Amino acid sequence: MSIRPRGLVEDESPPRSRTVEVEPDGHRPELLALDAGEQYRFGFDMGACIGCHSCEVACAEQNGLPAGTVWRRVGEIEGGDHPFTRRFHLSMSCNHCLEPACLQGCPTGAYIKLDNGIVAHQADDCIGCQYCTWNCPYQVPAFQPDRRIVTKCDMCQPRLAEGLKPACVGACPTNAITVEKVNVAEWRADHSAADAPELPDSSITLSTTRITLPEGVPLETFAASSWNLRPEHPHWPLVWLTVLSQVALGVSATASTTTHRFTAFALAAVAMAGALLHLGRPAHAWKALRGLRRSWLSREVAALSVYAGAAAGAVVVPELTVPAAVLGGVGVYASARLYVVPGRPAWNSPLTIVRFFATALATGPALTGHVELAAVGAVLAVFASVANWLRLSRRDEQSWIGSVQLELHWFRRWSIVRFALVALGVVAAIAGGSAVGIAAALIAAEVVARWLFFVTVVPLNMPGSFWRHTVAGQR
Amino acid sequence: MATSTSVPVAPPTRLRRLVDRLPKVLGVHHGGANYRYVDSPGQGPVIASRAAEAWVRTTCGYCSVGCGMRIGVRDGVAVTVQGDPEHPVNRGRLCPKGLSEHLMIRADGRLLTPMVQGVAVGWDDAFDVVTERFKALIAEHGPESVAVLSTGQLVTEEFYALGKLVRLGMGLAHYDGNTTLCMASAVSGYKLSFGTDGPPGCYEDFEQADLVVLWGANIADNHPLLTPRVLGAKDHQTLVVVDPRVTKSAMIADVHLPVRPRGDIALLNGVLVVLVEEGLVDLDEARARVDGVDDLLAHLDDWSVERAAHESGLSEDAIRDLARRIGSAERCTIAWTMGVNHSVQGTHTVTLINTVALLTGNIGKPGASPFSITGQCNAMGTRETGFTASMPGYRGYDVPEHRAELARLWGIEESRLPTERGRAYPDIVNAVMSGQIKGLWIIGTNPLVSFPNREVLELAFRQLDLLVVQDGFETPTTKVADVVLPAAIWGEKDGTFTNSERRVSRVRAAVEPPGLARTDFDIFMAFAERWGCRDELFPGWVTPEDAFGEWRKVSAGRPCDYSGITYERIAAAGGVQWPCPADDPDVPLGGTARLYTDRKFNRPGGRAMVHPVEPQPIRDAPRPAYPLLLNTGRTVEHWHTRTKTGRIAVLEGLSPEAWVEVHPDDAARYGLRSGDLATVRSERGVVERIRVRVTSIVRPGEVFIPFHWNERCANRLTDDQFDPISREPNYKQCAVRIERSTA
Repeated sequence: MSIRPRGLVEDESPPRSRTVEVEPDGHRPELLALDAGEQYRFGFDMGACIGCHSCEVACAEQNGLPAGTVWRRVGEIEGGDHPFTRRFHLSMSCNHCLEPACLQGCPTGAYIKLDNGIVAHQADDCIGCQYCTWNCPYQVPAFQPDRRIVTKCDMCQPRLAEGLKPACVGACPTNAITVEKVNVAEWRADHSAADAPELPDSSITLSTTRITLPEGVPLETFAASSWNLRPEHPHWPLVWLTVLSQVALGVSATASTTTHRFTAFALAAVAMAGALLHLGRPAHAWKALRGLRRSWLSREVAALSVYAGAAAGAVVVPELTVPAAVLGGVGVYASARLYVVPGRPAWNSPLTIVRFFATALATGPALTGHVELAAVGAVLAVFASVANWLRLSRRDEQSWIGSVQLELHWFRRWSIVRFALVALGVVAAIAGGSAVGIAAALIAAEVVARWLFFVTVVPLNMPGSFWRHTVAGQR
Repeated sequence: MATSTSVPVAPPTRLRRLVDRLPKVLGVHHGGANYRYVDSPGQGPVIASRAAEAWVRTTCGYCSVGCGMRIGVRDGVAVTVQGDPEHPVNRGRLCPKGLSEHLMIRADGRLLTPMVQGVAVGWDDAFDVVTERFKALIAEHGPESVAVLSTGQLVTEEFYALGKLVRLGMGLAHYDGNTTLCMASAVSGYKLSFGTDGPPGCYEDFEQADLVVLWGANIADNHPLLTPRVLGAKDHQTLVVVDPRVTKSAMIADVHLPVRPRGDIALLNGVLVVLVEEGLVDLDEARARVDGVDDLLAHLDDWSVERAAHESGLSEDAIRDLARRIGSAERCTIAWTMGVNHSVQGTHTVTLINTVALLTGNIGKPGASPFSITGQCNAMGTRETGFTASMPGYRGYDVPEHRAELARLWGIEESRLPTERGRAYPDIVNAVMSGQIKGLWIIGTNPLVSFPNREVLELAFRQLDLLVVQDGFETPTTKVADVVLPAAIWGEKDGTFTNSERRVSRVRAAVEPPGLARTDFDIFMAFAERWGCRDELFPGWVTPEDAFGEWRKVSAGRPCDYSGITYERIAAAGGVQWPCPADDPDVPLGGTARLYTDRKFNRPGGRAMVHPVEPQPIRDAPRPAYPLLLNTGRTVEHWHTRTKTGRIAVLEGLSPEAWVEVHPDDAARYGLRSGDLATVRSERGVVERIRVRVTSIVRPGEVFIPFHWNERCANRLTDDQFDPISREPNYKQCAVRIERSTA
């Protein structure tokens, strides 16, 4: 379970010499001014880091962060066997990427990349949708409960503006953390120095943090946090949003009566209203429409809203039924696409789109009396899940195989419940059972499946300390 | 505990609460006002809640590195801290405990009022109760029946006052500190080798040495601000770490010697064998300055590199390599801490390190010394001024000149000076257990978590007629006390700390103590009044500086000479290293960096002494019923028994619970995985539901538990065996077994 780092040796007792300059008197040198085509970035010397966590405390104090909100974290990597064990610490905050996934996915434009390269988050524009926390492969943006928005490292931008070092850099006793300039074009061409063992591939977002690896990193390493495979947050409002909007689509697509059309509208409306509960700042929900040109989340909100309107229209004007179903399909497609992100390997596949449409097929038609169609959809949903497990089982990183372990081991009872409900629905459909009963079983199966979808995803992340996930709010 | 009272306010109605919450639930605002940056003159841009208006220079109150820092104050509250860039020790940097130390001052759980049997009382009542009951015990059972256990956390001025109060004013026979749990072996070892205590080297040696050997010292976790010294010297220095675990410090070493627990005496003997065999020591030169050389050589006849390798668990090559490195180094510093001291043979292990340094000439010159890194912020202060293992100023209880001198300085009859040290810490506990000691006054320490074999200690405490505990925070020990005295803590007190390199730095009050809490100095003076000795023993003393003034006179001419150190001089230099005689133009502003530069030691004839040492087997060695060897230690995020750091959210978040390190082979054998909860048992006690960390940091057959936690207390397991000379506990080797906890 390791990425092959540069300068790697297998010698069991390698030389460990290195030079660290300890700056006299702690005075603060002016940061160098940027030339054209340059940005600031962090440098990190893994061999100089002694794992003291001073940077984390300094960051929390500089920014007044409440307990549980952490902008800089120190992870631990171990490899080899006693007495040739090697341990390294990795201190990381925001990598101020060249292609920041947080920024690209943000529906409101709350993120901007400043001229000096810093990926800055603007609290006023944040609605607390937390989509950036799914997109960042390093789990840098953090939802801060007391503010109900996401916050993150801005390299102490107000300090940088005055030529002062960020708090973490100033606090590091061994000068393992630095701020330096980087030529953006050159880094884009070769950013391999942003890679380190147990760290997501830097090519996802073009992380700018330059990591100096010590000599003698073992071939096989593991993160100290790796023991603690934990379920993610279920995001219940999103379970309802996605399932209900897909049920609505299934109803719209097979609607033949006013009752059907009203059901589709009601489901779509409830789904959208429920989605507001997901936001940290529902009062500012409209801002989610700002990112139509960039963010699948914006497109989802827009398309599903338009769909809900069209579904309402179809209740009155039955001719609108087909256009409404098409718009619903667009909405569900946008909805599915927003989950297809590299930061969450379990979702990062066309299978997610298949699964979302399969849910529509498995549920809506059951409500309009097309139970055989629904049975086909339910079976398709199961096949898509199985296909995804096979896909995820190909790689032994925790973010891949870990999802399968969570679904089939941690949540095995719920997986069984899901399959039992599908089997019940399908058998009943074949045997000509009650349509209401079949619909109930298949919708319940899809709700369980969707909940599992959210809780079993294992995000990419930086390697963590042994205690990651043992305290509320730890990422 | 009593908390401050507040005027009751009618609770808002349910509807009102809902309406009030609505803007928050809807997220109308994002709370940015609480996270506003301001440009603070002393800090640059910083979050407004941490912006200070005034700065108070002080010295960190956790470990003995003695980092200079500034407490930032606004509206009478300590809002932030900064490393002091001017301070010679840390040059502006701090560890995570230091960086959050202002949060400690404001933390929950402070003792706010004196308590007698759980009832809040005024100070007068508390003083009266303690005084009357201690006096009654003494009247009935003699001065042997009351004892005092203090700490390494007070300021030097308080230690000096406390020693006089306890030994002369109260006339108690038994007084010791928790420094016996951490540094006593270094003290005893220095005394045996050089005649007196006193670390001979300084932190600069870590930079100037071309060989640094960290012996049982995990500075990266426990003395983080020493690591920049060795990391900064990598271009000309080899760093060797001797430690059974692959510690964070082992990871920055050039050579890590994973010695078997208690194998270090064999390793040192092996090193001496090689040094002698290969002519790397000048024995004639050594004989000219050092006693005991020939006895040592005779003892080494029993030793060979082969035997040393067998007993230390290291290869013969590794032992020869270390010896050759030490023998050929121009400047070698061997620094140790608890891996050496926490042993039934701690004192003798220290003497062996001293022996290696003496024979290779690595003492009294830049970059070369046998250097004990102390534990607590002011363990050194109590070593020098205390009235425990020796009389103030490293004076012997049995040395007539010392007795006469002290009696003269204090203007008292020599007969009032105690004639012996009295019981050391573990012997006080034994005497409590046996009923000989009936009253105990504990100051600034939490024995229930820090003393080995907790079950016995808990039993002992129940035997006491009166347990008085004076502390800043509520602790497991204050909870069982009959009388609790609320003391001011770091940030609320004035005085000095002396760090590992003998550097005296200022500690200053930045804020007022909360509630009725008073400085320990005030408490001691109030007791002195009650015991009728204030005017005689503390004439005209009002502030700690008065105590410092007397201590300067008392220490004059002694190895730990403070006579030239004044608060003004400390302010000018950042910190001053003793010895610092008054009016000596040869001593620089910052004091004396190194001891024994003239190779004159404090034993008769100015000669040092080497001692032959034979290792003893581990008493509580692994066996089938208890097959694993338990090692204990610390982690960077916490301080001792977490009475302070356990209350700081950011530190708790980094290190939220105790753990046990288990090698993957043992984990497989006992069916354990990382994250499991395990039960660890020794013959003495049990730790239940402790988190398993499967890691190759430890060797197969060995496990490690940090000792900081009250729940899952490692000292329920540890062996209460003590060094016969220093009386330091053998915390680091005992036999345990481990199994998965049942739900």
